[in-house]
Amino acid sequence: MQLSHKGSIAAALAGATCALLGQSQAHAETDSSVLKDWKFDTAILYYGETDRVSLAEGVVSATKTNSDDSIFNVKLVLDTLTGASANGAVAQPTVQTFSRPSGKDSYQVAAGDTPLDDTFHDTRVQVAASWMQPFADTWRGTAGFNVSREYDYMSLGVNGLLEKDLFQRNTTLSAGLSYQFDSIDPVGGKPTPLSSMMVPADDDYDDEFEGEDDDHGAKNGSDDKTTLDMLFGVTQVINRRMLMQFNYGLSIVDGYTTDPYKVLSVINTNGVTQDIVYENRPDSRTKHSFFWQTKYALDNGVVDVSYRYATDDWEIDSHTIDSRLRFNLSGNSYIQPHIRYYQQSAADFYQPYLNQSADLPMYASADYRVGEMTAYTVGLKYGRTLENGHEWAVRAEYYQQDPKNAGFEQPGVLADLDLYPSVKAVILQFNYHF
Amino acid sequence: MRHLPRIARRLSLSLAICATLLTADALANQPAPDVPLAMADGQHQLADYRGQVVYLDFWASWCKPCQRSFPWMNAMQNKYADRGFTVIAINVDTERELADAFLAAMPAEFPVAFDPQGNAPALYRVPGMPTSYLIDHTGQLRLAHQGFHVQKQAQYEQEIVALIEEMESSK
Amino acid sequence: MKRKLVYVSVIVALSQLGGCASLGVQPWERDLLAKDEMALGAEGVDLGLDDHIYFSKEATSGGRSFAGGGCGCN
Repeated sequence: MQLSHKGSIAAALAGATCALLGQSQAHAETDSSVLKDWKFDTAILYYGETDRVSLAEGVVSATKTNSDDSIFNVKLVLDTLTGASANGAVAQPTVQTFSRPSGKDSYQVAAGDTPLDDTFHDTRVQVAASWMQPFADTWRGTAGFNVSREYDYMSLGVNGLLEKDLFQRNTTLSAGLSYQFDSIDPVGGKPTPLSSMMVPADDDYDDEFEGEDDDHGAKNGSDDKTTLDMLFGVTQVINRRMLMQFNYGLSIVDGYTTDPYKVLSVINTNGVTQDIVYENRPDSRTKHSFFWQTKYALDNGVVDVSYRYATDDWEIDSHTIDSRLRFNLSGNSYIQPHIRYYQQSAADFYQPYLNQSADLPMYASADYRVGEMTAYTVGLKYGRTLENGHEWAVRAEYYQQDPKNAGFEQPGVLADLDLYPSVKAVILQFNYHF
Repeated sequence: MRHLPRIARRLSLSLAICATLLTADALANQPAPDVPLAMADGQHQLADYRGQVVYLDFWASWCKPCQRSFPWMNAMQNKYADRGFTVIAINVDTERELADAFLAAMPAEFPVAFDPQGNAPALYRVPGMPTSYLIDHTGQLRLAHQGFHVQKQAQYEQEIVALIEEMESSK
Repeated sequence: MKRKLVYVSVIVALSQLGGCASLGVQPWERDLLAKDEMALGAEGVDLGLDDHIYFSKEATSGGRSFAGGGCGCN
């Protein structure tokens, strides 16, 4: 008995202390887990589209909390992508032949089908690290960098974030800056904008093709782009159960924004393809985004709802609503339904095809991802905490994109073809936290 | 008094928070407000500890720095208890089970009181979690620290020793 | 119900005023807000994976926080 108190209080305290000391023996082994400073979040994800792209991705994120409350995080992401992707050309009532990006091979698309390029196979490695340092009681500074590398792409970025707590930490202001440098080295070279795609003939294309030398489908070199992001946020505690965040983001992209693998069909008045040309996008983009999120603690769960409005000088406006509802089934398990709805308008240079009779525009893309579309995601996650404090979770989701006709005609043979097919995907994920 | 409409009540709470912001400094150099201490073995009062040097700590199971403070508070208790010093930790969790789970993993070797209503931290105008107060043997509040910083442990200990020595020399 | 809506909307409006008119909790009332699942960036790994998918399938990305780079397109 180390304690020496006086009188009856001392005796009472000694009794209480003994009771507590008694507990300490029984639970001494769990002592370390409370103070554990390294935590690991790992996940594997499968994303698969019907007849199109599939993606497998693995993440390991390690976080160390230091005794001064500074936090170090390092994250490694590995993913591999295979499958087919819409190349931008319109379906035709006849078989179509396209060149592969390498220019040394071709693929055919059946009559009536949306042209998909099945060449894609890529592996990406990404490493990101950040350090968050609290200072002067109510300030936090975070600095980070990230590097990502894939076969035809390289990305380097640095970012910084400053946060200030006000009013007993009920309000937090934040300002962040991020600078990203991306370099793309397209397979087969960077195509000349709006130049024709050379299609090798079915037989002896090798000889014919390598002899070609003109501006027809000329491809050479690599290109790059820079992205400067600014983010300003306010987080406000509303009451014991609710907090809210509002962010304004400004993003300025400068450089090569074109997708070197996307093309457009040039059609005649009867809707029949006469030529295939590479797309071309503006060399800058300025985007504003407004993001609002609120979280509400239920007695047995959490409501998380967010809304994002974004608008840019490509005339793409988008609305995103994302909500997650966590229900605790018991002290150590939960289910979490997830619903997301997304809607975007078309870029001003988007068009599903080019008219042979019209002058070539400066910029054009038939990539459905810059066209008008709606998309939704529905999913369910189940998570469980184990006896040893580790946590695992599984998530299954369904994602569907519904591209829309933004008011373009479908002349002649195009009238009966589906130019805006839906894209359907499943997402499966497994998480483990320890 | 009739019930105020909810919004008015909400506004008055906001104003109350504002008022505390204007006097955000933790109390010091005045008599330590007496508070009831509901402990596992029954009801006590802070005033019962008059004559000892008290390290009064406000903590919660959800507060991360509080986890770091417990081993140190145990060490202080073991080192100085026989010189008339005690740590008293007031838990402010609204759910007792969470506090109990914390104590099971991080056993306290000093008296722990439970104040799920938050009356004591309100009286002390606790500016953040954890906050600790050093009370001398005459019951005067002498020092307050917001947060628990491992790097400052030596300084915290010196402050305790200084008050113990002051008590010993006054006898 | 209607009253509750008014209540919520007033709170939302007040929260935008900032400063001393704003709302909040006392430091010892953060038990629920301190839960891991109440963090704005809770499930960060999921959010990162989602960002990557939607970044490569839709024309808008970001807004929540800074996402790492890379194309991972198509």
